[in-house]
Amino acid sequence: MINENKRKVEGGKFARIGIEITDNSISSVKITGDFFLHPENVLEKIEDALKGTKLPFNAVEAEKKIVEVLEAEKAKLVGVSAKDIAEMIDECVK
Amino acid sequence: MALDEIILERVIQGKALPTIRFFTWNPSSVSIGNFQGAEQEVNIPVCKNNGISVVRRITGGGSVYHDRNGEITYSVIAPEEWFPKDIVKSYEVICGWIVNALNELGINAEFKPINDVHINGRKVSGSAQTRRKGVLLQHGTVLYDANEEKIALLLKGRADKYDERLTKSIKKRITSVKENCDASRGELAKALEKAFGNGKEIAYSGYETQELNEAKKLAKEKYLKEDWNYKR
Repeated sequence: MINENKRKVEGGKFARIGIEITDNSISSVKITGDFFLHPENVLEKIEDALKGTKLPFNAVEAEKKIVEVLEAEKAKLVGVSAKDIAEMIDECVK
Repeated sequence: MALDEIILERVIQGKALPTIRFFTWNPSSVSIGNFQGAEQEVNIPVCKNNGISVVRRITGGGSVYHDRNGEITYSVIAPEEWFPKDIVKSYEVICGWIVNALNELGINAEFKPINDVHINGRKVSGSAQTRRKGVLLQHGTVLYDANEEKIALLLKGRADKYDERLTKSIKKRITSVKENCDASRGELAKALEKAFGNGKEIAYSGYETQELNEAKKLAKEKYLKEDWNYKR
């Protein structure tokens, strides 16, 4: 099953999320949009970190996971936040 | 795009001086941000039918239609330490040069965070930035003469289908230098050159043969390849 969601962040950028769910867990995550992320290759690492997340989805835990990747990679997200991404996934897996 | 990345690498390696360049796209093309879904953002069959190529940038940000005669593109490649650490503030510095150029032409413009320049609430310029190994690359466009119909046809924006209303909504959101003053595109280029160069010691030069050769190679290996351009 594929779930999708999109959001224009107030004062920020636009992001889309595509989530694939297999056997009650997230088997793939695709984040697209016109936001900024430095360094750019960290987006794949965020997607990978969210893969395998079991349902029911916990947005607070997911946000933490994203923040951990950003901190480990010394990366900066601009125009969309870790919270936005976690909330968007939460909305589309419900 | 290949030249931007090659100059970025050469500045990192100390083989090239910090660089400001201005260019136009021939033929007209569409560029998309690093994280955008190509098919989500661009009407690819229409681009193909019109001979418009689609290229993914290394920078984030949104999709842009680069009309051969309708805009000027700039790139700034320089040490990160010359700019504020804060990303939005560093956009403000370079976008401020664009504002100064437009002021020079008698247009009242302002920086609109995160990465735009507006004239009376309508976008005239958008930019995108990356930072790699202590060097900042920011590139962006200044619209000289907007073709809203073409933008609506080629770019999907947030709608899933082309709609005539899109052209009207784009007209409300974007503007151009031509709409705001009588300056020619050459005069806009001169104003940009002056504003970007202000306070800097500038050495004018063309591209080095090696730079061009490396860029051609990179274009072949990356920017002309579907696995890069359609990776998302």
